[in-house]
Amino acid sequence: MILLPCPHCGPRNASEFRYAGEASTRPDPNATTPEEWRAYLYIKNNPAGWTTEKWFHRTGCRRYFTAERHTVTNEVRETRLPAARLESNS
Amino acid sequence: MSARRSLANLRIADCTPLTKVFVQAFEKGMLARDLGVEFGRAVRDENGTLRIGSGPGEWLLLAPPGSAPEVVERVEAVRAEEPVSVVDVTHGRALVRISGAKTVDLLPKVCGIDMSDSITPDGAAFRSSVAKVLTDVVRDDGEGTRSYLLHCERSFGQYLFDALLDAGEEFGIEIEGFASNNSRSPE
Repeated sequence: MILLPCPHCGPRNASEFRYAGEASTRPDPNATTPEEWRAYLYIKNNPAGWTTEKWFHRTGCRRYFTAERHTVTNEVRETRLPAARLESNS
Repeated sequence: MSARRSLANLRIADCTPLTKVFVQAFEKGMLARDLGVEFGRAVRDENGTLRIGSGPGEWLLLAPPGSAPEVVERVEAVRAEEPVSVVDVTHGRALVRISGAKTVDLLPKVCGIDMSDSITPDGAAFRSSVAKVLTDVVRDDGEGTRSYLLHCERSFGQYLFDALLDAGEEFGIEIEGFASNNSRSPE
């Protein structure tokens, strides 16, 4: 069983979550080129090592969060809420 | 019909008639301060309403049957200068109460959360998968007996009830009828 530490709910079975892809910065649609937009949508790094990715806790708090996970060992060293959500809670 | 009250170590009751009001607001806003219960906890107020911190910025209020207008009115009376959503979801959700000493043996069969007193004491609330159904679980002991409220979408209610009955068969589970004391409102 893989445990994923949700920032809201604590460690939960990975089956409670939905993988939402590698975390990346969304380019400005008005300023980007088609190649950059395509790269943002479809080209992933997929490293064998540490990666930053988004997860959705579907059977829990129903919130998105960011996790740093090692794709080989499945070790998770940090999870955090999106910056926008942190600001709205302050 | 027998008026006997079940004394089994594991009992299940359909508490769906209880009023259920769903509230969304800022986690640290004015309404959150007024409700006075944080995510992961549940407290009963002076009106007999069980206030449950069911999610970040989400609350579920459980009250005696037919009291939705009063509960909504009390929440809306807080003049919060922030976006607030108050919805009566009584008819859209199902609610099941399981009680008795054997609940601590039943729930681990269908839910991955640690049910020990140190992790989920009386008044604890969490949302997780129960028999593969998204369920709000609230520990709401009464009269010294361990008891849990399980709240899910209405369309999953019959399945959840049947799944709990099936899982509890080996512990001698008995069905109780809905009683007003299930709301634990002050008499």
